[in-house]
Amino acid sequence: MFEPDEELVGRVVRQLRRPVTVDANLDARVMEQIARLPARRAGGATRATWHWLTRPRTVRLSPLSALAIAAVFVAVVLSRPDRLSHPASTGAREFSFVVVAPRAATVSLVGDFNDWDAARTPMQRAGKQASVWTAVLPLTPGRYRYAFLVDGVSWLADPAAPAARDDEFGTPSSVVTVGGS
Amino acid sequence: MGIHSVGTSDVDVVRRVLGGDTAAYATLVARYRDRLARYAVHMLGNREDAEEALQDAFVRAYRSLERCDDPARFGAWLYGILVNRCRTTGARAARRGRVFVRDEAALNGVAHASVAEQTEGEDVVCWALARLTPEYREAFLLKHVEDLEYEEMARVTGAGVSALKMRVKRAREQLQMILREAERV
Repeated sequence: MFEPDEELVGRVVRQLRRPVTVDANLDARVMEQIARLPARRAGGATRATWHWLTRPRTVRLSPLSALAIAAVFVAVVLSRPDRLSHPASTGAREFSFVVVAPRAATVSLVGDFNDWDAARTPMQRAGKQASVWTAVLPLTPGRYRYAFLVDGVSWLADPAAPAARDDEFGTPSSVVTVGGS
Repeated sequence: MGIHSVGTSDVDVVRRVLGGDTAAYATLVARYRDRLARYAVHMLGNREDAEEALQDAFVRAYRSLERCDDPARFGAWLYGILVNRCRTTGARAARRGRVFVRDEAALNGVAHASVAEQTEGEDVVCWALARLTPEYREAFLLKHVEDLEYEEMARVTGAGVSALKMRVKRAREQLQMILREAERV
């Protein structure tokens, strides 16, 4: 009858573990091929050390260690808040203005920051057929009134921002207040 | 050339080679040749292909020695290179095989050779092993013949431990089935 499974596999393994013979000149062929390669430059060990230093590693952290590192990072950021503002020299921060205008051909962002000049800050569609228009503008701390000018004729206040109460031109506008650092 | 003391650790030899002592590499070739040859021959089922893959693996390892992050594990690192060379050589051999199948005369020759192998019973085990898929054969050889742990196999093959366990299990089942069929004939 047949052997039990383990015995059959064991027989296979014993047979496969027997040494095999290869060409006796294999070593010589390898060394000959290596000898034809460009000489290994001196400093190979140095390069190996450099590689060891620069290779990526998986770092395992306990939750407590991760928390400690995060706390140190936050402390550093809080002690130097200017490192995260952009650009640091003027204290300006970038603001993204967004408006939904599905049937518009052009939309401009106008306000105190660009002297209400429709040519200075044209907004861009978020995609080819998108109804969302965006513009990014750096603003220094202060209070700004602004609005969107649709197709060069229609004024639109920002529905997501407070309305300006002191609009002397009689057109709807919104207010953004940029805090100082 | 120089004489290298028996038992010199892989770490020492690797350092010497990296330091410019090319001849020291012969120690590593001699140390790992037989074990790697056994894997290559069983994996590829052809001595010429196995020698080609083996030689290629040794030369590639030499050229990339700086990338051996842990010289104490040079053997395992070399194994990984050989496994890849065997995959490449095996795939090329398989393509060669498919070309032969279109050739009527060659097809007859292959058929005769297979029958001869089986009927003579010279190496039924190797014949059965060759009928496994390369993935199953690779996993079976590394686990049962080369005695690697699953974690080491995962590093060498790039496959996950669960996948490797499944491959070994299926390889064992298929080998048993193939050998039983052969015994019935």
